[in-house]
Amino acid sequence: MTRDIWKHLILVIGAIIVLAPFYMMLSYSFKSPGEIDRGVGGFFGAQEMMVDPRCVKLRDPNRDEIAAAAPQYPGKSDSEIRAVIMAQAEIDCSMRPVVFNYSKAFIEAPLLRYLLNGVIVTVSIFFVQVLVALPAAYALAKLKFWGREAVFGLVLFCLLIPVHAIALPLYIMLAKVGLTNTYAALVVPWTISVFGIFLMRQFFMTVPDDLIDAARMDGMTEFAIVWRVMLPTAIPALLAFAIFSIVAHWNDYFWPRIVVTGSRELFTPPLGLREFKGDADGSFFGPMMATATIIVTPLIVAFLVAQRRFIEGITLSGMK
Amino acid sequence: MAAIDAPAAARAPREVNRQARTAWCLASPALALMFLILLVPVVVAGVLSFTNYSLGNSGFDWVGFENYDRLFSRSTYEKMFVATFTYVAVVVPISVALGLGAALLVNSLGRIGDVYKTIYFLPVMATLLAMAIVWEFMLHPTIGVINQTLELSCGTFLEVVPFLANGCADGFPLWLGDRDYAIWVLCFIGIWQGFGFNMVLYLAGLTAVHRELYHAAEVDGAKSAWERFRLVTWPALGPTTVFVVTISCIRAFQVFDTVEAFWPQGGGPNKSTYVMMFAIFEKGVQQNLIGIGSAITMLFLVFVMFLTLIQRWLVERKVHY
Repeated sequence: MTRDIWKHLILVIGAIIVLAPFYMMLSYSFKSPGEIDRGVGGFFGAQEMMVDPRCVKLRDPNRDEIAAAAPQYPGKSDSEIRAVIMAQAEIDCSMRPVVFNYSKAFIEAPLLRYLLNGVIVTVSIFFVQVLVALPAAYALAKLKFWGREAVFGLVLFCLLIPVHAIALPLYIMLAKVGLTNTYAALVVPWTISVFGIFLMRQFFMTVPDDLIDAARMDGMTEFAIVWRVMLPTAIPALLAFAIFSIVAHWNDYFWPRIVVTGSRELFTPPLGLREFKGDADGSFFGPMMATATIIVTPLIVAFLVAQRRFIEGITLSGMK
Repeated sequence: MAAIDAPAAARAPREVNRQARTAWCLASPALALMFLILLVPVVVAGVLSFTNYSLGNSGFDWVGFENYDRLFSRSTYEKMFVATFTYVAVVVPISVALGLGAALLVNSLGRIGDVYKTIYFLPVMATLLAMAIVWEFMLHPTIGVINQTLELSCGTFLEVVPFLANGCADGFPLWLGDRDYAIWVLCFIGIWQGFGFNMVLYLAGLTAVHRELYHAAEVDGAKSAWERFRLVTWPALGPTTVFVVTISCIRAFQVFDTVEAFWPQGGGPNKSTYVMMFAIFEKGVQQNLIGIGSAITMLFLVFVMFLTLIQRWLVERKVHY
């Protein structure tokens, strides 16, 4: 028992270090700029009403607006009217820090658009990968044809090439055909997953031949066999591969950073966060941490819900 | 089955032919993309590394080995190699050792251990860029929580630690802005992010170690936990270790997100964190020096392929020590 206490002690210290940035991220996303600067306020901050200076500044009335408002305040001078309007603005622009941070995250940058882009890109990558890899894996596992060994050898060779490593020539090729700054540029390099082919082939090898022969007897074409017989048997492996693929591409920063320049329309979540950081001044720490929280949360929640599947999927590359 | 076999044999040649054609049809999209997206770029990078090409120019000149010459003679690239290899040499052993240690502890605790497994795996799932920005805040020299926490020790007995005493006297390190600390902080974050992944791989490896082996070892006189580890666990984990080390190396070589987030310009103080992926990005994409970028790409590919080939060779030798 005492031995176990030592183990827990070590593991808890590790857990504190691992969790520290997550804790700080959440905590900063709740706090007001002042509390972040001074490092006070505990985890949630005091949540005292704060005034958004930018919002107030926007409501500062000009001469015409004061003139327009004059009838409402008979007998008051212009500067008094301005003071009244500004006082009202301060009331309208005050909010809890947590509301300020999270609303700013969505208002200051098109965060919803970024999230949508992230979903579009990761989902299309996964579907194209399956569309390309599954038939090839079936052919390599179950069909006899001249050149099969050579094709499989090629797959094994291509496993050696990380796509990030050849990003520069890929970028040049895409630029030459005018595809940079398009969704296509974000998806195309990932359409071929040699790893997916390899994995699916290994899985299909375990599917009994009788199943396929029976389907052939029923008059199914090979194409139909892939999608109507092999695909359903491969669901567990595909699920693991889906998690592997989606986590990798939701979190990817390097490739989008290369092919998407300028237009915010195409930003994926990490790019959006990066840009936010680029033009953030000190008072925007809170909203930025809110953005980071929003980007990190979907995968973390999914992971906590379906832990075993996730660990299986992410460590897929460890399966032999 | 015999009744079916006879006609099947009769139409065999046609059947075989048809099957071959279908097979090629099914594999052709994958094959085409493999060539276009994986093999052609490698060739393109290889060719361009001997030129002075840049995007937007109509032509280019062959420059022979000039780009490679530069890689091995300029001090910038010397710093690039130093940064990359320091990062790999620090992150890989430590994250593998921590992964193994965590896996052994978690494994020995049974079900309660799963809580730690979940926690340690969180950084693997989280968007690294986002977490890098959080770390940057935490490491901020004045308002960051790390230096604020260190300042708490000032004036207490903890000041006997030289590091804390110096910090209290002359200010705590700038961390990311300090050329003596930058690369180590980068390594720390790499380890923080990656060791949970290694732990999970080791946990999978541990489930495959047979209980009987431990009993056998005990019978043979392996009394201490260390003896059991040395004689049973470690050899049984051989294949896992080969794999974990290789994948950690490849991941460490590809470090980019943190470097770009911390130092968007120029790769850190005094270029101390100018890693290869960042160099490819900066030279090839931002400065449009495709020739030199391609040369770095080729070297990078050689390193990564070399590592994977070593791994495959070791696996084929069936590492069981």
